Amino acid sequence: MSFFMEPWQWGDWMWRGMLTLNLVAITCAVLGVFLYLRRMSLIADALAHVALPGIVMAFLVTGSLDGALMLGGAALVGLFTAVAIEWISRQPSVRSDAAIGVVFTALFALGVILLSTRVRDAHIDTHCLLYGDVLGVSDRALSLVAWSTPVVLGLVAIFYRWLAVSSFDARFALAMGVPVAALNYGLMSAVTVTAVAGFEAVGAVLVIALIIVPAATAHLLARSLKAMLAISIGHGILASWAGMYLAIGLNISAAGAVVVAGGALYALAFLFAPEHGRFWRWRRRSLATAGQRQPLSPSG
Amino acid sequence: MEPGSTEIFWSRATEFFSLQYDFALYALLAAVLVGVICGLVGTFMVLRGMSLVGDAAGHATLPGVAIAFLLTGTKSAPALLLGALISAVLGAMTITWISRGPRVRADAAIGIVLSTFFGLGIVLLSYIQTSPTGQQAGLSEYLFGNAAAVTPAQIGVVALAGALLVVLVGVFYRPLSLMVFDERFAQSLGLPTHWLELGLMSALAMAVVLSIQAVGVILVAAMLIIPPSAARFLSKKLSGVMMASVAMGGVSGALGAMFSYVYEGVATGPAMVLVAVFFFSLALVFGPVGGAVPRALRRRHARRSALLRGSR
Repeated sequence: MSFFMEPWQWGDWMWRGMLTLNLVAITCAVLGVFLYLRRMSLIADALAHVALPGIVMAFLVTGSLDGALMLGGAALVGLFTAVAIEWISRQPSVRSDAAIGVVFTALFALGVILLSTRVRDAHIDTHCLLYGDVLGVSDRALSLVAWSTPVVLGLVAIFYRWLAVSSFDARFALAMGVPVAALNYGLMSAVTVTAVAGFEAVGAVLVIALIIVPAATAHLLARSLKAMLAISIGHGILASWAGMYLAIGLNISAAGAVVVAGGALYALAFLFAPEHGRFWRWRRRSLATAGQRQPLSPSG
Repeated sequence: MEPGSTEIFWSRATEFFSLQYDFALYALLAAVLVGVICGLVGTFMVLRGMSLVGDAAGHATLPGVAIAFLLTGTKSAPALLLGALISAVLGAMTITWISRGPRVRADAAIGIVLSTFFGLGIVLLSYIQTSPTGQQAGLSEYLFGNAAAVTPAQIGVVALAGALLVVLVGVFYRPLSLMVFDERFAQSLGLPTHWLELGLMSALAMAVVLSIQAVGVILVAAMLIIPPSAARFLSKKLSGVMMASVAMGGVSGALGAMFSYVYEGVATGPAMVLVAVFFFSLALVFGPVGGAVPRALRRRHARRSALLRGSR
């Protein structure tokens, strides 16, 4: 018991880290479900990568490392990325996955070059951007997460019906008069804001994992959209707590541990989900073939 | 150098291509080889709609590198590269395995493998850093690459492996092209599509591992995706796309290495990528297969001839 209680008494970094992590995990889990249903999970990968060029460009334009300005710059670049991906993937010779790959790697390369030639003396920590620092969350990062989470979740609640309809059947939604394109860009902006706000605290890779993996797990287990959202949020929270204690117990990277815990939960669902688990399907099949073979056996 | 001074630019550029300095020669060779190999392997990935598997395979090398370091306790390149290769193949195969069944979307499978493998790598590296024997295994260089640090021996290995890949693609050209355009048809002909798939994934992992030294894990995806995507605007045939992609990859490598030689602080990997992006935007606008300008011209031509017919 002391193992679970002790870290909370070591200082306020534990509750700050946990609070940030859980807020980011909940928002990512909700947005991730809608991205997943639209087959746009990898847009999250792209948006998480373009935060680096976004922050560098915001610094070049404004000359300051102020949190709100960098968040704005990164969000603008994120929105530009979403628009560019959509425009390029509408070209006849390009598929959407290639469009994602072209746009985010191009912007990332630009960001690395600008960082190494123009802003070498600014203290932009690429390691922190990529892996985050859950146990060293700054006031700025905590407040960004604290106000962006209710805003994003509130918007999702308001537009819930539109989001649900357009995620399952975009054409039907369009026929019903839902502004599908505007909704899409709204969703992209929400993902970018969440990614950038959660970024400083948890890093680019963790943000991707928190968006994609919970929704994929929930899809293996849930039968309705509401259940999928609930399971996705549960997955995010469970992975956060398990990963955090794993990190403290083994003295390893907290961001990495949360990702690994989430991946392990997905693997469990993949193998043992009641209806779609591979293990049960394999057993059903082997029982079925055994049943077929019996009457043919010479002893019977 | 100062931006804008074209004379200095040309003198530095000719100095680079005169190949009088060994390190410039090695950087050039490494970058061109990486461009060619990625252009070749990337063609198959892009045409199959699996562009981002390369991104995942790149990220998936990290745990292999960390485990190899933990096992051998040294930074010896062969061991680390072998570890990277094994975990990249495992990552790519995991993607095909989990995306095969129902209730799993291929794009999510890529994201799951990418993030989980990379997370595992970060965990292992953080363990290495805190353990008393370990020291950081040059993570920055690994993430962003450094073509100037590539040794002649490594270039030899990359060249050999690249030649092997070219021969293999040549030998299996027919079945590969069938599989790229119509996997079900290839299956119905009795082709061993599972083995071909495994071969393609291994080739992809090999291309990734050979490239990370020069361009880093994040940008290797760019060299696998951008030249083939640009090449699709130039030809409708597999052989045409493949050759255009290889050519663009190689030229991007050469020019990228030159830019990083001319401009101080510019790393080779990102420079190569930006050159490739330049080619891609040209192809997007002027490419004969679906490029914006040829399409507009064709439309105008069609409208004109329709008008002429109507007036007659």
